[in-house]
Amino acid sequence: MDNFGFLFAANAFVWGGIIYYVYTLKQRSRELEKDLELLKETLSRESR
Amino acid sequence: MNQETTEESNEESYILVWLTGIVFLVAMAAIFLYVPTEQTEGPVQRIMYIHIPSAWLSFFAFFIVFICSILFLWKKEREWDIYAHASAEIGVIFCSLVLITGPIWAKPIWGTWWVWDARLTSTLILWLIYVAYLMLRAQTDAGSMRARYAAVLGIVGFLNIPFIHFSVLWWRTFHPQPKVISSEGFGKGMETSMLITLGISLCAFTLLYFLLMGQRVRQEKLKDEIDSLKREQLYSS
Repeated sequence: MDNFGFLFAANAFVWGGIIYYVYTLKQRSRELEKDLELLKETLSRESR
Repeated sequence: MNQETTEESNEESYILVWLTGIVFLVAMAAIFLYVPTEQTEGPVQRIMYIHIPSAWLSFFAFFIVFICSILFLWKKEREWDIYAHASAEIGVIFCSLVLITGPIWAKPIWGTWWVWDARLTSTLILWLIYVAYLMLRAQTDAGSMRARYAAVLGIVGFLNIPFIHFSVLWWRTFHPQPKVISSEGFGKGMETSMLITLGISLCAFTLLYFLLMGQRVRQEKLKDEIDSLKREQLYSS
């Protein structure tokens, strides 16, 4: 039985899924870090 | 977060990234180059080396949700709620991969994508429970009540896992019987090369879990820090 198509599809889903999740995690972290920096700057400006 | 602690955790996460990458490369080499092709199922049987570790990872993640939820209800510390939330998200991702790779394997072997047998149906129910857990967290306002409801759901959801494990033994199902931990003994139902490949793949997925958990927990802590700064800003203005 040669079912390479199914083997390829399963691997594509797993690797695609993992890579996409890691990518969204990185994006979310970057956005949060930016927000945090901005807030800290605003607060320090306000306190001056 | 203090500077020194952040630097230390960055260093640890770099080591973990490299280690996970290397173990994954070894796992891929073992799956595609080392392990022999199974005689009856052919190359499609290699899906097992990513399907079983995905299932293991999701069950492990839900076990962490279970433990952290109990600890949250007991100690009422936000830390445990963060861990439970992070682990539930990772568990749902990998449970989704189990529900996708399973039918891809089943189509050429069983001739159908899906059958409503005990193992498949109970896994789908597990996925639905934890999707509901994430929806509950997303839809309700932050606070101790949300965390408490989520913790109860996290505990109840985990009770399904022993049922999933034993379902193939209690009922006649399409799903293959356990081969790694079987009545014949540990790994007795498998070729040594298959067992080694599966072991490496399981290690790779477990390392990936810790890597993702680190990132996800860090994110939740950043969110908390942002929220407290926003509150500070609100009170000062």
